[in-house]
Amino acid sequence: MICGVKFCGGCNPRYDRGKAFEDIKKERPDIEFAIAREGEKYDFLIVIGGCTSCCASHCQYTYEQGLIKMWDREHIDKVLDKLDEVATKIDGK
Amino acid sequence: MLMTGEQYIESLRKLNTRVYMFGEKIDNWVDHPMIRPSINCVKMTYDLAQDPQYADLMTVKSNLTGETINRFGHLHQSTEDLRNKVKMQRLCGQKTASCFQRCVGMDAFNAVFSTTYEVDKKYGTKYHENFVNYLKYVQENDLVVDGAMTDPKGDRGAAPHAQEDPDLFLHIKERREDGIIVRGAKCHQTGSINSHEHIIMPTQAMGEDDKDYAVSFACPSDAEGLFMVYGRQSCDTRKLEKDADVDLGNKQFGGQEALVVFDDVFIPNDKIFLCGEYDFAGMLVERFAGYHRQSYGGCKVGVGDVIIGAAALAADYNGAQKASHIKDKLIEMTHLNETLYCCGIACSAEGYPTEAGNYQIDLLLANVCKQNVTRFPYEIVRLAEDIAGGLMVTMPSEADFKSDLKVGKNGETIGDFCNKFFKASPVATTEERMRILRFLENICLGSSAVGYRTESMHGAGSPQAQRIMISRQGNIAAKKELAKAIAGIK
Repeated sequence: MICGVKFCGGCNPRYDRGKAFEDIKKERPDIEFAIAREGEKYDFLIVIGGCTSCCASHCQYTYEQGLIKMWDREHIDKVLDKLDEVATKIDGK
Repeated sequence: MLMTGEQYIESLRKLNTRVYMFGEKIDNWVDHPMIRPSINCVKMTYDLAQDPQYADLMTVKSNLTGETINRFGHLHQSTEDLRNKVKMQRLCGQKTASCFQRCVGMDAFNAVFSTTYEVDKKYGTKYHENFVNYLKYVQENDLVVDGAMTDPKGDRGAAPHAQEDPDLFLHIKERREDGIIVRGAKCHQTGSINSHEHIIMPTQAMGEDDKDYAVSFACPSDAEGLFMVYGRQSCDTRKLEKDADVDLGNKQFGGQEALVVFDDVFIPNDKIFLCGEYDFAGMLVERFAGYHRQSYGGCKVGVGDVIIGAAALAADYNGAQKASHIKDKLIEMTHLNETLYCCGIACSAEGYPTEAGNYQIDLLLANVCKQNVTRFPYEIVRLAEDIAGGLMVTMPSEADFKSDLKVGKNGETIGDFCNKFFKASPVATTEERMRILRFLENICLGSSAVGYRTESMHGAGSPQAQRIMISRQGNIAAKKELAKAIAGIK
Protein backbone atom coordinates (compact mmCIF):
# COMPACT_ATOMS: atom_id res chain seq x y z
CA MET A 1 0.00 0.00 0.00
CA ILE A 2 1.30 3.40 -0.96
CA CYS A 3 0.05 6.34 1.04
CA GLY A 4 0.52 9.91 -0.20
CA VAL A 5 1.04 12.62 2.40
CA LYS A 6 0.20 16.28 2.00
CA PHE A 7 1.06 18.93 4.58
CA CYS A 8 -0.72 22.26 4.82
CA GLY A 9 1.57 25.28 4.43
CA GLY A 10 2.13 25.61 8.18
CA CYS A 11 1.35 29.30 8.77
CA ASN A 12 0.48 28.79 12.43
CA PRO A 13 0.36 25.07 13.31
CA ARG A 14 -0.96 24.08 16.73
CA TYR A 15 1.27 21.00 16.92
CA ASP A 16 4.40 19.57 15.28
CA ARG A 17 3.06 18.20 12.01
CA GLY A 18 6.39 16.67 11.00
CA LYS A 19 6.66 14.80 14.28
CA ALA A 20 3.07 13.54 13.90
CA PHE A 21 3.95 12.17 10.46
CA GLU A 22 7.08 10.48 11.83
CA ASP A 23 4.99 8.88 14.58
CA ILE A 24 2.46 7.57 12.05
CA LYS A 25 5.30 6.09 9.96
CA LYS A 26 6.78 4.42 13.02
CA GLU A 27 3.43 2.90 13.94
CA ARG A 28 2.87 1.48 10.46
CA PRO A 29 6.28 0.38 9.12
CA ASP A 30 4.72 -1.87 6.46
CA ILE A 31 3.04 0.99 4.67
CA GLU A 32 4.98 2.97 2.08
CA PHE A 33 4.56 6.69 2.67
CA ALA A 34 5.52 9.36 0.15
CA ILE A 35 5.14 13.12 -0.03
CA ALA A 36 2.29 13.50 -2.54
CA ARG A 37 3.20 14.58 -6.06
CA GLU A 38 1.03 15.35 -9.03
CA GLY A 39 0.95 12.60 -11.67
CA GLU A 40 1.73 9.84 -9.13
CA LYS A 41 -0.89 7.31 -8.04
CA TYR A 42 -1.57 6.57 -4.37
CA ASP A 43 -3.82 4.10 -2.64
CA PHE A 44 -4.68 6.61 0.03
CA LEU A 45 -3.93 10.20 0.99
CA ILE A 46 -3.32 11.75 4.42
CA VAL A 47 -3.73 15.52 4.64
CA ILE A 48 -1.87 16.87 7.67
CA GLY A 49 -3.17 20.31 8.61
CA GLY A 50 -1.88 22.49 11.42
CA CYS A 51 -5.21 23.89 12.57
CA THR A 52 -8.93 23.32 12.20
CA SER A 53 -9.11 25.01 8.79
CA CYS A 54 -6.90 22.20 7.39
CA CYS A 55 -6.57 24.27 4.21
CA ALA A 56 -3.99 22.17 2.34
CA SER A 57 -4.79 21.74 -1.35
CA HIS A 58 -5.25 18.10 -2.40
CA CYS A 59 -7.56 17.96 -5.42
CA GLN A 60 -4.52 17.74 -7.71
CA TYR A 61 -3.51 14.29 -6.44
CA THR A 62 -4.68 10.83 -7.53
CA TYR A 63 -5.71 8.43 -4.76
CA GLU A 64 -7.99 5.43 -5.12
CA GLN A 65 -9.25 4.67 -1.62
CA GLY A 66 -10.06 8.16 -0.40
CA LEU A 67 -8.32 10.43 2.05
CA ILE A 68 -8.29 11.43 5.68
CA LYS A 69 -7.61 14.87 7.10
CA MET A 70 -6.00 15.47 10.47
CA TRP A 71 -5.48 18.81 12.19
CA ASP A 72 -4.65 17.73 15.72
CA ARG A 73 -2.08 15.36 17.22
CA GLU A 74 -4.93 13.51 18.83
CA HIS A 75 -6.16 12.46 15.40
CA ILE A 76 -3.23 10.06 14.97
CA ASP A 77 -5.18 7.07 16.28
CA LYS A 78 -8.03 7.82 13.90
CA VAL A 79 -5.55 8.00 11.01
CA LEU A 80 -3.96 4.68 12.00
CA ASP A 81 -7.37 3.02 12.16
CA LYS A 82 -8.24 4.33 8.73
CA LEU A 83 -4.90 3.13 7.32
CA ASP A 84 -5.60 -0.36 8.70
CA GLU A 85 -9.07 -0.32 7.19
CA VAL A 86 -7.74 0.66 3.75
CA ALA A 87 -4.88 -1.85 3.94
CA THR A 88 -7.34 -4.64 4.76
CA LYS A 89 -9.54 -3.59 1.87
CA ILE A 90 -6.60 -3.61 -0.55
CA ASP A 91 -5.36 -6.98 0.73
CA GLY A 92 -8.84 -8.43 0.24
CA LYS A 93 -8.93 -7.50 -3.43
CA MET B 1 12.75 26.20 -11.93
CA LEU B 2 12.77 26.61 -8.14
CA MET B 3 16.17 27.64 -6.79
CA THR B 4 17.46 26.23 -3.52
CA GLY B 5 18.59 28.65 -0.83
CA GLU B 6 22.22 27.90 -1.60
CA GLN B 7 21.68 28.49 -5.31
CA TYR B 8 20.14 31.84 -4.46
CA ILE B 9 23.22 32.86 -2.48
CA GLU B 10 25.49 31.79 -5.34
CA SER B 11 23.33 33.68 -7.85
CA LEU B 12 23.95 36.88 -5.88
CA ARG B 13 27.71 36.38 -6.14
CA LYS B 14 27.43 36.41 -9.92
CA LEU B 15 25.91 39.89 -9.94
CA ASN B 16 28.02 43.00 -10.19
CA THR B 17 25.82 44.91 -7.72
CA ARG B 18 27.57 48.06 -6.48
CA VAL B 19 27.13 48.56 -2.74
CA TYR B 20 28.54 51.35 -0.56
CA MET B 21 28.63 51.51 3.22
CA PHE B 22 30.43 53.84 5.65
CA GLY B 23 31.75 55.74 2.63
CA GLU B 24 33.43 52.73 1.07
CA LYS B 25 32.67 50.25 -1.69
CA ILE B 26 31.84 46.80 -0.32
CA ASP B 27 33.14 44.24 -2.79
CA ASN B 28 32.10 41.04 -1.00
CA TRP B 29 28.73 42.26 0.22
CA VAL B 30 27.25 38.75 0.21
CA ASP B 31 29.41 37.73 3.18
CA HIS B 32 29.47 41.10 4.93
CA PRO B 33 28.42 40.56 8.58
CA MET B 34 26.02 43.53 8.50
CA ILE B 35 24.37 42.48 5.23
CA ARG B 36 24.39 38.69 5.40
CA PRO B 37 21.56 38.34 7.97
CA SER B 38 19.21 40.08 5.55
CA ILE B 39 20.32 37.76 2.74
CA ASN B 40 19.61 34.80 5.03
CA CYS B 41 16.02 36.05 5.33
CA VAL B 42 15.52 35.96 1.58
CA LYS B 43 17.26 32.58 1.48
CA MET B 44 14.57 31.33 3.87
CA THR B 45 11.91 32.04 1.21
CA TYR B 46 13.76 29.59 -1.03
CA ASP B 47 14.45 26.99 1.68
CA LEU B 48 10.82 26.86 2.81
CA ALA B 49 9.65 26.33 -0.77
CA GLN B 50 11.75 23.15 -0.89
CA ASP B 51 10.24 21.76 2.32
CA PRO B 52 7.08 19.60 1.97
CA GLN B 53 5.88 20.93 5.34
CA TYR B 54 5.61 24.45 3.86
CA ALA B 55 5.37 23.96 0.10
CA ASP B 56 1.57 24.26 0.04
CA LEU B 57 1.90 27.94 0.92
CA MET B 58 5.32 28.69 -0.53
CA THR B 59 4.70 27.34 -4.03
CA VAL B 60 1.88 27.61 -6.53
CA LYS B 61 1.19 26.84 -10.18
CA SER B 62 1.85 29.81 -12.43
CA ASN B 63 -1.09 30.95 -14.54
CA LEU B 64 1.45 32.17 -17.12
CA THR B 65 3.62 29.08 -17.56
CA GLY B 66 1.76 26.23 -15.85
CA GLU B 67 4.93 25.49 -13.88
CA THR B 68 5.32 25.33 -10.11
CA ILE B 69 6.83 28.61 -8.92
CA ASN B 70 7.61 30.35 -5.66
CA ARG B 71 4.46 32.16 -4.51
CA PHE B 72 6.49 35.38 -4.23
CA GLY B 73 6.46 35.47 -8.06
CA HIS B 74 2.75 34.76 -8.47
CA LEU B 75 -0.19 36.71 -9.88
CA HIS B 76 -3.10 36.12 -7.50
CA GLN B 77 -5.81 34.14 -9.27
CA SER B 78 -8.44 33.99 -6.52
CA THR B 79 -9.28 35.18 -3.04
CA GLU B 80 -7.75 31.92 -1.85
CA ASP B 81 -4.45 33.00 -3.41
CA LEU B 82 -4.74 36.33 -1.58
CA ARG B 83 -5.32 34.56 1.74
CA ASN B 84 -2.47 32.15 1.08
CA LYS B 85 -0.19 35.09 0.45
CA VAL B 86 -0.94 36.44 3.95
CA LYS B 87 -0.45 32.99 5.49
CA MET B 88 2.87 32.59 3.68
CA GLN B 89 4.02 35.94 5.02
CA ARG B 90 3.07 34.98 8.56
CA LEU B 91 5.09 31.80 8.14
CA CYS B 92 8.15 33.67 6.83
CA GLY B 93 7.90 36.16 9.70
CA GLN B 94 7.82 33.30 12.19
CA LYS B 95 10.91 31.71 10.70
CA THR B 96 13.04 34.87 10.56
CA ALA B 97 11.59 37.34 13.10
CA SER B 98 12.56 39.89 10.46
CA CYS B 99 11.46 41.50 7.24
CA PHE B 100 12.14 38.90 4.54
CA GLN B 101 12.01 41.55 1.83
CA ARG B 102 10.46 39.60 -1.03
CA CYS B 103 6.90 40.96 -0.72
CA VAL B 104 7.59 44.28 -2.43
CA GLY B 105 8.35 42.45 -5.67
CA MET B 106 5.22 40.31 -5.43
CA ASP B 107 3.08 43.35 -4.74
CA ALA B 108 4.68 45.23 -7.64
CA PHE B 109 4.01 42.31 -10.03
CA ASN B 110 0.32 42.29 -9.23
CA ALA B 111 -0.07 46.07 -9.37
CA VAL B 112 1.89 46.50 -12.62
CA PHE B 113 0.12 43.55 -14.26
CA SER B 114 -3.37 44.98 -13.80
CA THR B 115 -2.41 48.62 -14.40
CA THR B 116 -0.52 48.00 -17.66
CA TYR B 117 -3.57 46.12 -18.97
CA GLU B 118 -5.71 49.20 -18.47
CA VAL B 119 -3.06 51.59 -19.81
CA ASP B 120 -2.81 49.55 -23.02
CA LYS B 121 -6.59 49.52 -23.36
CA LYS B 122 -6.69 53.31 -23.30
CA TYR B 123 -3.52 54.16 -25.21
CA GLY B 124 -2.86 51.11 -27.42
CA THR B 125 0.59 50.69 -25.86
CA LYS B 126 2.37 47.34 -25.39
CA TYR B 127 3.27 47.63 -21.72
CA HIS B 128 1.20 44.65 -20.59
CA GLU B 129 2.88 42.35 -23.09
CA ASN B 130 6.27 43.71 -21.98
CA PHE B 131 5.39 43.01 -18.38
CA VAL B 132 4.00 39.51 -18.94
CA ASN B 133 7.17 38.53 -20.83
CA TYR B 134 9.27 39.98 -18.04
CA LEU B 135 7.33 38.18 -15.32
CA LYS B 136 7.69 34.87 -17.17
CA TYR B 137 11.46 35.43 -17.12
CA VAL B 138 11.31 36.19 -13.37
CA GLN B 139 9.19 33.12 -12.62
CA GLU B 140 11.25 30.76 -14.79
CA ASN B 141 14.45 31.85 -13.05
CA ASP B 142 12.93 32.18 -9.55
CA LEU B 143 14.32 35.69 -9.11
CA VAL B 144 13.99 38.21 -6.29
CA VAL B 145 12.71 41.57 -7.51
CA ASP B 146 12.69 44.78 -5.50
CA GLY B 147 9.50 46.75 -6.06
CA ALA B 148 10.76 50.31 -5.76
CA MET B 149 8.31 53.14 -5.29
CA THR B 150 9.47 55.80 -2.81
CA ASP B 151 11.30 58.80 -4.28
CA PRO B 152 13.31 61.23 -2.11
CA LYS B 153 10.49 63.75 -2.83
CA GLY B 154 12.46 66.86 -1.78
CA ASP B 155 10.10 69.71 -0.91
CA ARG B 156 6.86 67.93 0.02
CA GLY B 157 4.90 71.05 -0.89
CA ALA B 158 6.02 70.97 -4.52
CA ALA B 159 5.02 68.63 -7.37
CA PRO B 160 7.75 66.56 -9.06
CA HIS B 161 8.19 69.00 -11.96
CA ALA B 162 8.31 71.97 -9.55
CA GLN B 163 11.22 70.72 -7.45
CA GLU B 164 14.36 72.85 -7.47
CA ASP B 165 16.39 69.72 -8.19
CA PRO B 166 14.62 67.65 -10.89
CA ASP B 167 16.30 64.45 -9.70
CA LEU B 168 14.38 64.34 -6.42
CA PHE B 169 11.76 62.31 -8.25
CA LEU B 170 13.02 59.59 -10.57
CA HIS B 171 12.37 60.71 -14.13
CA ILE B 172 12.96 60.17 -17.82
CA LYS B 173 16.01 62.20 -18.74
CA GLU B 174 16.11 61.25 -22.38
CA ARG B 175 13.90 59.37 -24.83
CA ARG B 176 15.70 57.30 -27.45
CA GLU B 177 14.47 55.08 -30.25
CA ASP B 178 15.56 51.94 -28.39
CA GLY B 179 14.59 53.01 -24.87
CA ILE B 180 14.90 55.70 -22.21
CA ILE B 181 17.57 57.09 -19.89
CA VAL B 182 16.35 57.51 -16.32
CA ARG B 183 17.78 59.55 -13.49
CA GLY B 184 16.94 59.92 -9.80
CA ALA B 185 16.75 57.64 -6.79
CA LYS B 186 14.49 55.43 -4.70
CA CYS B 187 14.81 55.72 -0.91
CA HIS B 188 14.67 53.16 1.91
CA GLN B 189 14.43 50.27 -0.49
CA THR B 190 13.81 47.07 1.42
CA GLY B 191 15.94 44.19 0.19
CA SER B 192 17.25 46.10 -2.82
CA ILE B 193 20.79 44.75 -2.50
CA ASN B 194 19.53 41.17 -2.16
CA SER B 195 17.39 41.43 -5.30
CA HIS B 196 18.37 40.24 -8.76
CA GLU B 197 16.16 42.84 -10.39
CA HIS B 198 14.28 46.06 -9.68
CA ILE B 199 10.82 47.17 -10.77
CA ILE B 200 10.44 50.91 -10.56
CA MET B 201 7.07 52.60 -10.07
CA PRO B 202 6.06 56.24 -9.65
CA THR B 203 5.69 57.39 -6.07
CA GLN B 204 2.40 59.31 -6.25
CA ALA B 205 -0.48 60.41 -8.48
CA MET B 206 0.73 62.88 -11.10
CA GLY B 207 -0.50 65.64 -13.41
CA GLU B 208 0.34 66.46 -17.00
CA ASP B 209 3.35 68.59 -16.02
CA ASP B 210 4.81 65.52 -14.32
CA LYS B 211 4.72 63.39 -17.48
CA ASP B 212 8.43 62.59 -17.36
CA TYR B 213 8.06 61.32 -13.81
CA ALA B 214 5.23 58.90 -14.66
CA VAL B 215 7.55 56.02 -15.44
CA SER B 216 7.67 52.32 -14.60
CA PHE B 217 10.24 49.80 -15.78
CA ALA B 218 12.41 46.84 -14.82
CA CYS B 219 16.18 46.63 -14.74
CA PRO B 220 18.84 44.33 -13.31
CA SER B 221 20.22 45.34 -9.91
CA ASP B 222 23.69 45.59 -11.44
CA ALA B 223 22.63 47.79 -14.40
CA GLU B 224 25.21 50.30 -15.57
CA GLY B 225 24.74 53.54 -13.59
CA LEU B 226 22.83 51.92 -10.72
CA PHE B 227 24.32 51.71 -7.22
CA MET B 228 23.16 51.45 -3.61
CA VAL B 229 24.10 53.05 -0.33
CA TYR B 230 23.36 50.83 2.67
CA GLY B 231 21.03 52.17 5.36
CA ARG B 232 22.23 52.24 8.98
CA GLN B 233 20.26 50.49 11.69
CA SER B 234 20.28 50.96 15.43
CA CYS B 235 23.15 48.98 17.03
CA ASP B 236 24.20 47.69 13.58
CA THR B 237 27.94 47.64 14.32
CA ARG B 238 27.42 45.02 17.01
CA LYS B 239 27.42 42.68 14.00
CA LEU B 240 31.03 43.68 13.31
CA GLU B 241 32.23 42.68 16.79
CA LYS B 242 34.47 39.64 16.95
CA ASP B 243 32.55 36.38 17.58
CA ALA B 244 29.33 38.32 18.20
CA ASP B 245 26.48 35.99 19.04
CA VAL B 246 24.33 36.49 22.15
CA ASP B 247 24.56 40.29 22.06
CA LEU B 248 23.03 40.35 18.56
CA GLY B 249 19.71 38.94 19.72
CA ASN B 250 19.07 37.54 16.24
CA LYS B 251 22.39 36.44 14.82
CA GLN B 252 21.03 34.72 11.75
CA PHE B 253 18.41 37.08 10.35
CA GLY B 254 17.75 40.79 9.82
CA GLY B 255 16.28 43.38 7.50
CA GLN B 256 17.84 45.71 4.98
CA GLU B 257 17.13 49.09 3.43
CA ALA B 258 19.21 51.13 1.02
CA LEU B 259 19.22 54.24 -1.11
CA VAL B 260 19.14 53.12 -4.75
CA VAL B 261 20.66 55.68 -7.12
CA PHE B 262 19.94 55.79 -10.86
CA ASP B 263 22.77 57.79 -12.34
CA ASP B 264 21.58 57.85 -15.98
CA VAL B 265 20.49 54.24 -16.43
CA PHE B 266 19.44 52.98 -19.86
CA ILE B 267 16.15 51.05 -19.98
CA PRO B 268 15.35 49.19 -23.22
CA ASN B 269 11.84 49.51 -24.68
CA ASP B 270 10.80 45.95 -23.81
CA LYS B 271 11.36 46.59 -20.09
CA ILE B 272 9.19 49.73 -19.95
CA PHE B 273 5.74 49.46 -18.31
CA LEU B 274 4.71 53.12 -18.13
CA CYS B 275 6.26 56.05 -19.95
CA GLY B 276 4.48 59.35 -19.62
CA GLU B 277 0.87 58.14 -19.14
CA TYR B 278 0.60 60.29 -16.03
CA ASP B 279 -3.11 59.61 -15.53
CA PHE B 280 -2.26 56.01 -14.55
CA ALA B 281 0.44 56.85 -11.99
CA GLY B 282 -2.19 57.14 -9.23
CA MET B 283 -3.78 53.80 -10.10
CA LEU B 284 -0.43 52.02 -9.97
CA VAL B 285 0.45 53.59 -6.62
CA GLU B 286 -2.95 52.82 -5.12
CA ARG B 287 -2.88 49.19 -6.19
CA PHE B 288 0.68 48.57 -5.06
CA ALA B 289 0.00 50.29 -1.74
CA GLY B 290 -3.18 48.25 -1.29
CA TYR B 291 -1.35 44.95 -1.75
CA HIS B 292 1.49 46.09 0.45
CA ARG B 293 -0.87 47.17 3.23
CA GLN B 294 -2.40 43.69 3.05
CA SER B 295 1.11 42.20 3.32
CA TYR B 296 1.64 43.74 6.74
CA GLY B 297 -1.30 41.74 8.07
CA GLY B 298 0.86 38.66 7.52
CA CYS B 299 4.55 39.45 7.92
CA LYS B 300 4.31 41.53 11.10
CA VAL B 301 1.98 38.94 12.63
CA GLY B 302 4.61 36.24 12.09
CA VAL B 303 7.24 38.40 13.78
CA GLY B 304 4.69 39.16 16.52
CA ASP B 305 4.30 35.40 17.10
CA VAL B 306 8.03 35.17 17.86
CA ILE B 307 7.92 38.23 20.15
CA ILE B 308 5.01 36.80 22.13
CA GLY B 309 6.91 33.53 22.47
CA ALA B 310 10.03 35.38 23.58
CA ALA B 311 8.09 37.42 26.16
CA ALA B 312 6.52 34.22 27.54
CA LEU B 313 9.98 32.63 27.78
CA ALA B 314 11.36 35.73 29.51
CA ALA B 315 8.58 35.38 32.09
CA ASP B 316 9.41 31.69 32.53
CA TYR B 317 13.13 32.41 32.91
CA ASN B 318 12.46 35.21 35.37
CA GLY B 319 10.20 32.88 37.36
CA ALA B 320 7.26 35.25 36.90
CA GLN B 321 5.14 33.13 34.58
CA LYS B 322 2.42 32.46 37.15
CA ALA B 323 1.70 36.12 37.91
CA SER B 324 -1.80 37.00 36.69
CA HIS B 325 -0.70 40.33 35.16
CA ILE B 326 1.94 38.50 33.07
CA LYS B 327 -0.69 36.10 31.76
CA ASP B 328 -2.98 39.01 31.00
CA LYS B 329 -0.25 40.86 29.09
CA LEU B 330 0.45 37.79 26.97
CA ILE B 331 -3.28 37.56 26.25
CA GLU B 332 -3.32 41.22 25.21
CA MET B 333 -0.31 40.74 22.92
CA THR B 334 -2.01 37.75 21.31
CA HIS B 335 -5.25 39.67 20.91
CA LEU B 336 -3.46 42.54 19.16
CA ASN B 337 -1.44 40.24 16.94
CA GLU B 338 -4.40 38.14 15.85
CA THR B 339 -6.42 41.31 15.17
CA LEU B 340 -3.79 42.27 12.61
CA TYR B 341 -4.06 38.81 11.09
CA CYS B 342 -7.85 39.13 10.94
CA CYS B 343 -7.42 42.31 8.89
CA GLY B 344 -4.97 40.64 6.49
CA ILE B 345 -7.30 37.69 5.97
CA ALA B 346 -10.42 39.89 5.72
CA CYS B 347 -9.09 42.19 2.99
CA SER B 348 -8.01 39.07 1.09
CA ALA B 349 -11.32 37.25 1.48
CA GLU B 350 -13.12 40.33 0.12
CA GLY B 351 -10.84 40.58 -2.91
CA TYR B 352 -12.10 40.88 -6.48
CA PRO B 353 -10.82 40.30 -10.01
CA THR B 354 -9.27 43.17 -11.95
CA GLU B 355 -9.89 43.73 -15.67
CA ALA B 356 -6.60 41.95 -16.35
CA GLY B 357 -7.77 38.88 -14.40
CA ASN B 358 -5.58 38.87 -11.30
CA TYR B 359 -7.12 39.53 -7.91
CA GLN B 360 -7.02 42.78 -5.99
CA ILE B 361 -7.59 43.07 -2.24
CA ASP B 362 -10.43 45.08 -0.68
CA LEU B 363 -8.86 48.54 -0.43
CA LEU B 364 -10.77 49.76 2.60
CA LEU B 365 -9.97 46.69 4.68
CA ALA B 366 -6.31 46.66 3.55
CA ASN B 367 -5.94 50.26 4.65
CA VAL B 368 -7.61 49.51 7.98
CA CYS B 369 -5.16 46.61 8.30
CA LYS B 370 -2.12 48.81 7.78
CA GLN B 371 -3.51 51.57 10.01
CA ASN B 372 -3.68 49.02 12.84
CA VAL B 373 -0.14 47.94 12.00
CA THR B 374 1.04 51.51 12.62
CA ARG B 375 -0.12 51.07 16.24
CA PHE B 376 -0.35 47.50 17.51
CA PRO B 377 3.29 46.42 17.11
CA TYR B 378 4.27 49.39 19.30
CA GLU B 379 1.92 48.16 22.02
CA ILE B 380 3.16 44.60 21.57
CA VAL B 381 6.80 45.60 22.10
CA ARG B 382 5.80 47.85 25.02
CA LEU B 383 4.22 44.85 26.71
CA ALA B 384 7.22 42.66 25.79
CA GLU B 385 9.55 45.21 27.46
CA ASP B 386 7.25 45.30 30.47
CA ILE B 387 7.38 41.52 30.87
CA ALA B 388 11.12 41.24 30.15
CA GLY B 389 12.21 43.75 32.76
CA GLY B 390 14.94 46.37 32.60
CA LEU B 391 17.71 43.81 32.38
CA MET B 392 17.17 43.56 28.63
CA VAL B 393 18.93 46.92 28.30
CA THR B 394 21.26 46.95 31.29
CA MET B 395 22.96 43.57 31.37
CA PRO B 396 26.67 43.28 30.69
CA SER B 397 28.01 42.08 27.37
CA GLU B 398 28.47 38.50 26.27
CA ALA B 399 32.22 39.05 26.66
CA ASP B 400 31.72 39.81 30.35
CA PHE B 401 29.66 36.69 30.89
CA LYS B 402 32.44 34.67 29.26
CA SER B 403 35.34 36.57 30.80
CA ASP B 404 37.93 34.62 32.80
CA LEU B 405 39.50 37.74 34.22
CA LYS B 406 39.96 37.13 37.94
CA VAL B 407 38.60 40.01 40.02
CA GLY B 408 37.13 38.40 43.17
CA LYS B 409 38.82 37.97 46.50
CA ASN B 410 38.47 34.22 46.13
CA GLY B 411 39.64 34.13 42.55
CA GLU B 412 36.21 34.51 40.94
CA THR B 413 36.15 35.84 37.39
CA ILE B 414 33.97 38.56 35.92
CA GLY B 415 32.10 35.73 34.19
CA ASP B 416 31.53 34.01 37.54
CA PHE B 417 30.02 37.18 39.00
CA CYS B 418 27.82 37.90 35.98
CA ASN B 419 26.52 34.35 35.84
CA LYS B 420 25.91 34.32 39.60
CA PHE B 421 24.05 37.61 39.78
CA PHE B 422 21.93 37.16 36.66
CA LYS B 423 20.75 33.62 37.31
CA ALA B 424 17.02 33.48 37.90
CA SER B 425 14.61 30.55 37.58
CA PRO B 426 16.16 27.05 37.57
CA VAL B 427 14.33 26.31 34.29
CA ALA B 428 16.97 28.21 32.30
CA THR B 429 20.69 28.85 32.34
CA THR B 430 21.93 32.40 32.67
CA GLU B 431 22.99 32.29 29.02
CA GLU B 432 19.51 31.20 27.90
CA ARG B 433 18.04 34.09 29.88
CA MET B 434 20.53 36.48 28.27
CA ARG B 435 19.68 35.15 24.82
CA ILE B 436 15.95 35.73 25.12
CA LEU B 437 16.42 39.20 26.67
CA ARG B 438 18.87 40.19 23.92
CA PHE B 439 16.38 38.96 21.34
CA LEU B 440 13.76 41.27 22.85
CA GLU B 441 16.23 44.16 23.04
CA ASN B 442 17.07 43.69 19.35
CA ILE B 443 13.44 43.61 18.20
CA CYS B 444 12.26 46.38 20.55
CA LEU B 445 15.06 48.89 20.01
CA GLY B 446 17.98 47.28 18.21
CA SER B 447 18.58 46.63 14.52
CA SER B 448 15.39 44.56 14.13
CA ALA B 449 13.26 47.42 15.47
CA VAL B 450 13.75 49.00 12.05
CA GLY B 451 11.60 46.25 10.59
CA TYR B 452 9.13 45.72 13.40
CA ARG B 453 8.53 49.27 14.60
CA THR B 454 9.38 52.07 12.18
CA GLU B 455 8.65 49.96 9.11
CA SER B 456 5.25 49.21 10.67
CA MET B 457 4.72 52.96 10.96
CA HIS B 458 5.95 54.15 7.56
CA GLY B 459 6.35 51.11 5.30
CA ALA B 460 3.63 50.84 2.62
CA GLY B 461 2.77 54.44 3.42
CA SER B 462 2.65 56.50 6.61
CA PRO B 463 -0.51 56.50 8.76
CA GLN B 464 -1.99 59.57 7.09
CA ALA B 465 -1.87 57.86 3.69
CA GLN B 466 -4.13 55.13 5.04
CA ARG B 467 -6.48 57.64 6.62
CA ILE B 468 -6.92 59.37 3.27
CA MET B 469 -7.83 56.03 1.68
CA ILE B 470 -10.14 55.12 4.58
CA SER B 471 -11.86 58.47 4.11
CA ARG B 472 -12.31 57.83 0.37
CA GLN B 473 -13.54 54.28 0.82
CA GLY B 474 -15.52 54.75 4.02
CA ASN B 475 -18.92 55.17 2.33
CA ILE B 476 -20.14 57.84 4.75
CA ALA B 477 -23.03 58.84 2.48
CA ALA B 478 -24.58 55.37 2.72
CA LYS B 479 -24.08 55.38 6.46
CA LYS B 480 -25.99 58.68 6.69
CA GLU B 481 -28.87 57.09 4.82
CA LEU B 482 -28.88 54.20 7.28
CA ALA B 483 -29.08 56.60 10.18
CA LYS B 484 -31.84 58.60 8.50
CA ALA B 485 -33.91 55.46 7.90
CA ILE B 486 -33.65 54.35 11.52
CA ALA B 487 -34.27 57.83 12.90
CA GLY B 488 -37.25 58.44 10.65
CA ILE B 489 -35.68 61.29 8.67
CA LYS B 490 -36.93 61.67 5.09
